[in-house]
Amino acid sequence: MAYDVQTWVSVAALSGGGMAMGFGAIGAAIGEGYTAARANEAISRNPELSGDIFKTMLVGQAIAESASIFALVIAMMLLFTKFAAHILMVPVLLGAGLAMGMGAIGAGVGAGYPAGACCTGMARQPAMGGRLTTNMLIGSAVCQTPAIFALVVAFILLFTDFSQSPVSPTWAAILGAGISAGFGAIGSGLGGGLVAQASCEGIARQPLTATPVTNVMLLGQAVTQTTAIYALLVSFILMFKTFPATDLIAPPMALLAAGICMGIGAIGPAIGEGLAGQSAVAGIARNQEHVAELTRLMLVGQAVAESTGIYSLVIALILIFVV
Amino acid sequence: MEDLGRIHQLIVHVMGRDLTFNLEVIVMTWIAITALLCFGFLAARKKSIIPGPVQVVGELFINFLYGLTEDALGEERAKKYAPMICALFMFLLLCNWLGIIPHLEEPTKDLNTPLSYGLMGFVLAHHAGIKAKGLKQYLKDYCEPIFIMAPLNIIGELAKVISISFRLFGNIMGGSIIILVVSYLTFNIITPPFLNAFFGAFVGTIQAFVFTMLTLVYIAVQVN
Repeated sequence: MAYDVQTWVSVAALSGGGMAMGFGAIGAAIGEGYTAARANEAISRNPELSGDIFKTMLVGQAIAESASIFALVIAMMLLFTKFAAHILMVPVLLGAGLAMGMGAIGAGVGAGYPAGACCTGMARQPAMGGRLTTNMLIGSAVCQTPAIFALVVAFILLFTDFSQSPVSPTWAAILGAGISAGFGAIGSGLGGGLVAQASCEGIARQPLTATPVTNVMLLGQAVTQTTAIYALLVSFILMFKTFPATDLIAPPMALLAAGICMGIGAIGPAIGEGLAGQSAVAGIARNQEHVAELTRLMLVGQAVAESTGIYSLVIALILIFVV
Repeated sequence: MEDLGRIHQLIVHVMGRDLTFNLEVIVMTWIAITALLCFGFLAARKKSIIPGPVQVVGELFINFLYGLTEDALGEERAKKYAPMICALFMFLLLCNWLGIIPHLEEPTKDLNTPLSYGLMGFVLAHHAGIKAKGLKQYLKDYCEPIFIMAPLNIIGELAKVISISFRLFGNIMGGSIIILVVSYLTFNIITPPFLNAFFGAFVGTIQAFVFTMLTLVYIAVQVN
């Protein structure tokens, strides 16, 4: 049975919305559960502070949930907007849903780590409550960056007019852009969370090191996001470059492969860089005389861990520009 | 919603080519520069042992950033690079905060602005590296661990420019798109101040600081 274009667009909108919210719900739920578990642990250790810990837990969970709220916004827009009946809207809607759904996973889990560590830290070092909360807010806000990138890609896909572009390679480029931005955000969100967790634990362990710990945390998180930025770059190129029309099957597949290559290739390095940042921050909290050495080693280690991400970037660019 | 993707452009034809000027960004950058100059003037106008309120804010910034530069580069080089680092941070901070004021836009929302500061940091870092290590050692460092890795090392260096500028651009542009869309969806009731406080003031501050720190670290990595 043959369906008209409008039906396919509606199908894509509904399944895109489902994917955005379905995948987008995974991360935040895990992160919030982790926070609640650590808050319970903290209250059992220091019951007098239950009020403060409860408040911190709620604030932390609210931030961990913001990635899921982005996914909810996209899902709502996909479900309730009337889209033009153009065949290229099908990959656009699927790509936007996939980008935001996948992009919310890492940030949700990641933002849960510092919130949990902040609750534990409060029970341990009640005097540092204010500083810990500030640090947690900064850390989890930076964790949201990859989810924001995914959201930007989803919005650009939804609001750009692709109707003048040739259908054949453009559908793959659009889908590739969504996949790249979505999958590319998973690792960075998670890795950034690991760094922020170590910093909250570190401040609770040694309040005097708060300033260097926060600074190095920001640095570590920023480097952790590098591969998500490569993924953003690849999806921007895929969205904004004009590709010549073709009847062959190879060029569209190359574009799709570029998106998959960069998206999935970005997951591992980002988590690895997060681990490097985590132990560097923990080290600074223990031994604040050696901030410079620890930071340098962290950066060198992260650069090496990132090299596989750069390989993915190179292959993705070759797939886009050469093949 | 039509605001999304709207760009004010001035297109000039020179020798058969089109030069595109993004007028809005130029105006907003000048507003940020003027604000920074005014701040500098007010902070340094009446210097006294018991500082006035503006001088205190200025001193806070300078002390903090000077300390950071000294930690990363050592006392000798800090004297040279700290003014640039201080100026970079305060300028980016003002740029990122500019969007909070209605009818003004962040210049950093346009990729050209972060990219030019990223390139500036790149040139500074490599200049510092060549001066500190000598050209021979500098070139030799690209061939670590073996010379076959040189192309990938060079791509890695260039990727730093991309990552530092896209980080700022993505965050600021993402924030402004979120403010726009969510405000529109909620009919501009209640949400805009909170969205502006979070994405404009809070994320803007963090990203300005991250950009400055990374520029500093890139210099430090080249020098050491």
